[in-house]
Amino acid sequence: MRKRVLAMMKWPARMLSILILVMTGTTILVRFAPGYLSDEREMDPRYAQAARIELAEETSRSHSLLQMLSTEVSGWSRGDLGRSRQFDIPVQELIWPRLAVTGELLLRSIVLGWMIAISGSMVSGVGRNPSMLWQLPATLLLAIPTAAMATLCLLSGKGGPVLVMALLIAARDFKFLHRMLRKAWLEPHILQARAQGIATSRLLVAHVLPSLAGQLAALASLSIVTALSALVPVEVIFNVPGLGQLAWNAALNRDLPVLLAITLIMAIAVTCSGMAPGRRPEWERA
Amino acid sequence: MFRNGPWPPAGMGTRMRFHRLAAWVLAGLTAVSLAIVIAPGASYSRQDREQLFAAASPSHPAGTDALGRDRLVRVAAALLLSLAGASAAAALTTAGAAAVGAMAAFATGAVRWTIMLLCDVFLALPWLFLLMMVRSALPLKTSPARSAAITFMVLAALGWPACARAVYRGVLELKNADWMLQARAAGLRRSQTLHHVVPNLLPLLLPQFLVSVPAFVIAEANLGALGLGIGEPLPSWGGMLLELDNSAILLQTRWVYFPVLLLILVLLLVEAIMVEA
Repeated sequence: MRKRVLAMMKWPARMLSILILVMTGTTILVRFAPGYLSDEREMDPRYAQAARIELAEETSRSHSLLQMLSTEVSGWSRGDLGRSRQFDIPVQELIWPRLAVTGELLLRSIVLGWMIAISGSMVSGVGRNPSMLWQLPATLLLAIPTAAMATLCLLSGKGGPVLVMALLIAARDFKFLHRMLRKAWLEPHILQARAQGIATSRLLVAHVLPSLAGQLAALASLSIVTALSALVPVEVIFNVPGLGQLAWNAALNRDLPVLLAITLIMAIAVTCSGMAPGRRPEWERA
Repeated sequence: MFRNGPWPPAGMGTRMRFHRLAAWVLAGLTAVSLAIVIAPGASYSRQDREQLFAAASPSHPAGTDALGRDRLVRVAAALLLSLAGASAAAALTTAGAAAVGAMAAFATGAVRWTIMLLCDVFLALPWLFLLMMVRSALPLKTSPARSAAITFMVLAALGWPACARAVYRGVLELKNADWMLQARAAGLRRSQTLHHVVPNLLPLLLPQFLVSVPAFVIAEANLGALGLGIGEPLPSWGGMLLELDNSAILLQTRWVYFPVLLLILVLLLVEAIMVEA
């Protein structure tokens, strides 16, 4: 029983350690970056004076790393996630409306991406067509930087942020799915079942997909990371008022509390998604 | 191991020829780019104020950009800079990952746990987001050459964790291999076995290196498109992607698509070579 409890506690403890390290690392990274105490407004004589005053205040505020960290932690414990330096409002007010926008964008693009990837890999993995024919579009899509794809979609007026992210996810997942399905399709027991004339759809639903459930769950978590990586260029280029755009804006303006909050939200999302497929057997046993 | 059909599989020879062709085309492109960049009179930063947004002509085969700079020379320089920077960063990151992965595999419990936790911390953050954060926190007066060096250094510094995990698993397998156990049983120390492990890791490290090159090229292009890449007047893929944001330029000339098309071609060629490895 004690072992089971310890096993159950292991991953949340690891996740908590990761989050604490992410928070500390981000604060150190931003605070000690050579450009932290500089502002592009300093180059403009109209705003230079005001910028220098703000920077002097910032210098006194960020004198101690421990103090900076405690300020961030107290902001999180209060629930307002700190105060934005750029907008001078609680970070929570900036994050919540945008979280819904980003969440919807992520959900729609992951669902669409998976639908495309699964359909493509089923036809290519199960069918007789040469795999090269199916892999070529995926390879081509992966060779286009997200920013270029988004810009080209924007210019042509065809497709939006969901399509760009979905295509990226589909292209990346297709390669794995195709390989997984092809391998499962050539397993001896499946070959035997095929020789006996069992319908393809029944084989897929009853044998192939259940045997791939663990790998599919791991791939789903990878899709979240892929989608989050594409989030910033897509939201910036399509002017989607989501977390990616906010992060880009905060990075350009060195708004540490906002950056920290978004970094932690992303770290939580990635860590939780990675935890789900990897730890399910232990939870079930427990 | 179940294998469906004879070895080598049908079509493998054709694929190998295709991969070799891709390597030759990439080498040719690099050589041509080098020739364009070092040609007498060629300069990626010289402006021809009389020919802004010029179409293709004998003096400017791919036209000029908004500042009257020769697009062909800039694209050639961007290709060289991007490939050289990405290759150097990939080499650094692969070497770093090999060191970290091997250290974790040979270390004791607590050290191994700490190293893997560090990998998890880096892997918990989307890569481009982290890059953007680090790159944006650099001083505003960074010189273009330094910004290029910093961009690729940051890529190298952040790209190692996934590779380190793969190396860690590879070294663990080697550590538990029969020949290793026999060597240990024969009295060889850990340090003595290490130089047998390293050559056996090369088949794992080479694909990791080749995977990193296109990933870094794409990351640099994405960063540049967000205005956080290599500083002007140094040419970069990302900087040239920014041209696409201006619809007025697109109406003037279609040659602005040339860098994107060449970038895609280069990435496809690298991908083809990667598959061979």
